Amino acid sequence: MFFYYLDLAWRSIKKTPFLSLLMVLAISIGIGITITTLNVYQLMSENPAGDRSDNLIAVQLWSQDKDAWKEFNAQLTYQDAYNLRKSDVPTRQTAMFVTGLAVQTEDPDFVPLLESVRVTDSDFFNMFSVPFIYGKAWDKSVDTEAVYQVVINEALNQQLFAGEDSIGKTLYLDSKPYQIVGVTKTWSPSPLYYDITTGAFKDSAQIFVPFSLAPIEEFQSWGNNQSWKRQSINSYSERLSSEMHWIQYWVEVQDDTQRDEYAQWLKRYVEQQQLLGRFDSPEAAAKLSNVEQWLEINEVVPEDNKILVGLSGLFLLVCLVNMLGLLLAKFLKRAPEVGVRRAIGASRAQIFFQHMVEVGLIGFGGGLLGLLWAWGSLSMLSAHFDLEDALTQLDLTMWVLAPTIAIAAALIAGVYPAWRICSTNPSVHLKSQ
Amino acid sequence: MLQIKPILSTLMRNKSGPILLLIQIILSVAIVANASFIISERLTLMDRESGTAEEQVFDFRLYSFDKNIDLESQIQRDIRAIRDLPGVIDASTTSMVPLSGGGWSSGYTVGSSEETAKDTENTAVYYGDEHMINTLGVELIEGRNFYEEEVLTGSPDLATHGIVSKAFAKATWGDDTAIGKTMYAGDFGNMPIKVVGVVDKLQGAWVNSDSLDNSVILNIKLVNVFTKVLVRAEVGTLAQLKQEITTTLLKDNRNRVVERFTLISEHRKRVYRNHELMATVLSMMVILLLLITSLGLAGMVMFNIERRTKQIGTRRALGAKKRDIISFFLVENYIICVVGGVIGGLVAVQLGQQLMSVYSLPKLELIYPIATVAGLIVLTTIAVILPARKAANISPAIATRSV
Repeated sequence: MFFYYLDLAWRSIKKTPFLSLLMVLAISIGIGITITTLNVYQLMSENPAGDRSDNLIAVQLWSQDKDAWKEFNAQLTYQDAYNLRKSDVPTRQTAMFVTGLAVQTEDPDFVPLLESVRVTDSDFFNMFSVPFIYGKAWDKSVDTEAVYQVVINEALNQQLFAGEDSIGKTLYLDSKPYQIVGVTKTWSPSPLYYDITTGAFKDSAQIFVPFSLAPIEEFQSWGNNQSWKRQSINSYSERLSSEMHWIQYWVEVQDDTQRDEYAQWLKRYVEQQQLLGRFDSPEAAAKLSNVEQWLEINEVVPEDNKILVGLSGLFLLVCLVNMLGLLLAKFLKRAPEVGVRRAIGASRAQIFFQHMVEVGLIGFGGGLLGLLWAWGSLSMLSAHFDLEDALTQLDLTMWVLAPTIAIAAALIAGVYPAWRICSTNPSVHLKSQ
Repeated sequence: MLQIKPILSTLMRNKSGPILLLIQIILSVAIVANASFIISERLTLMDRESGTAEEQVFDFRLYSFDKNIDLESQIQRDIRAIRDLPGVIDASTTSMVPLSGGGWSSGYTVGSSEETAKDTENTAVYYGDEHMINTLGVELIEGRNFYEEEVLTGSPDLATHGIVSKAFAKATWGDDTAIGKTMYAGDFGNMPIKVVGVVDKLQGAWVNSDSLDNSVILNIKLVNVFTKVLVRAEVGTLAQLKQEITTTLLKDNRNRVVERFTLISEHRKRVYRNHELMATVLSMMVILLLLITSLGLAGMVMFNIERRTKQIGTRRALGAKKRDIISFFLVENYIICVVGGVIGGLVAVQLGQQLMSVYSLPKLELIYPIATVAGLIVLTTIAVILPARKAANISPAIATRSV
């Protein structure tokens, strides 16, 4: 029966090509716009930590005076990060920031490259599930006793060492020799949730060096450096003891008990610092956020995107109302034919079902065409605006989502016209024949 | 003449079609009004001038990792060498680049005594020498430039003289002249900076900041392993100068990286990218929405004509002129359009208010819903007249036939 209805639907569509085309066009444009904005929204709002989202916790401290900033800063001061590293409550933890260093190899003809470098602790790689091709992270002892070791990524390894196993080789960073201990696989979570301070949609760093080297090598910070206090900072040691916020801090916990325990530990830390004259604000406290909360409070998804998704939803609604009107027109025009079918024995349910199949077919066509629009507009936008690929790939779920929304929307729009047509009295139309 | 009464009774007899059209128009007005408002707001933002010669000025980054050199004399030698290159108008080191999205900002203390001292608005801080103004291409409207002997080298804390933008001067000292005023980089009395000049316009780096037009230039040549260099050159010479500057600098000392040559006009493009993107997507939406609404309208009119063939034939037979038939359809749709437009306008204002409260959007200006309704009336006319002309051609004889 379904296929018979499909056949009837196809015939009916062919009979009114203009009206049918109009409907398919309307729904496809609605779907196209919706999928375009939804796709970007989804890619932005993705939680790249997956099932580790609850285990990874970002730490913030309200260390400013009472008249300073009115909210938690996203980063910590170096002195707080230094003290927090001493806690043995979390399973793993890392302090970090981004710097930039000139890269050279042992080849004297190699033109130096300036690369961004993440200065971090050995736990970083396990915490954020960084996959390795060769070697592994530096030893945990390096986090306290600085050693010149480095982890590089696959792309840089390809560029410098033609992709071969480079463990044990020397890399010069700012003319200092570092021993390569690990090569990571290409890995770049999007959004780059562990450091959103200078934009959440960037590639991860190519080079990783131990945090313990920072006071020795005096790495400059390439990230945000925010101070609530007017301090003059003329040397690196002044920077390290200043109230400037520039270090990101993450811990890993196994469960809520451990998280609560760490919260308690931080509470004691704040109290202890207050005795030393810091954290001079009634609101002084520590704040813990898991990855999901972190993405939320840092507003990783820009407002513009939310507005666009909302407006495109309304847009789809207009397309549906438009389609509803056209369907009504189309079906009512066919009332005499339906009258005949009803007179020779078709039940109301059958008439209803027949028309819903037709509506579904139009919706399906609209969905497919809409996917094409979405793909076209995304490629156009990415070409014209030079957007990150991570934001403009048509997500796989959209291939299913687009026809589903289209058919569902069409069916919703079709219920009223189909009901109107199946509930008309056949005799009225038979008389006028 | 307008036959409002029979039209209204026609509308009332068959409610569902017109109601759907009404809903569609209400939603369209609400969306189009808000979308075009956001578009025009973004375009206004993007239209603001930075005050600099954007097509002439470019910056690049210089990273010296050689620890065994005298950085100060190295940088001075570099800048001199760049100024001597053909095509180069002027050059200066800088702490930041206009519209680049990153840089230095600070507030200062001003006032005549410790009690009355207050903080200024936040302002972008450019550190540079007496060549800075000419390099940026900004216009000095009051006071003077730094004298060569006033310019100091080294730490930002040494600054003693400043040139401020007109916007910053106005925000800080109102209508009073800024020349000769003192502002403090520390608390009142600490690290005084004397204002010697005012430039007409110089924007900072962050285009979404409220204080974008606030800038100060301080008399310091920074010495840092990372140095940003601003160069002003003839239009179109960037590609060639990029080569020449890199070669010149590396010839002097190989142990450094010279990179990221970027015109301010390119910074502008990048920094406004999201606004441009928003405006583009919304324009796409508005155009498609109007297209769909008018096609839907035309479709409905065509359907009505077919359904009313007999009625039209009868009216023609009874003496109605062709234009009477057309005006019947026009008035019918104008009624829907105006009613929908008024309700849609109200919904648009509501939607605007919602957007304003949830997101950082300004208040919807009333002209936008009004203009949208006006545009919709024009569109209705076109969408109705084309099919209605066909209806007017229906022969009176049709009325006498049975089908």
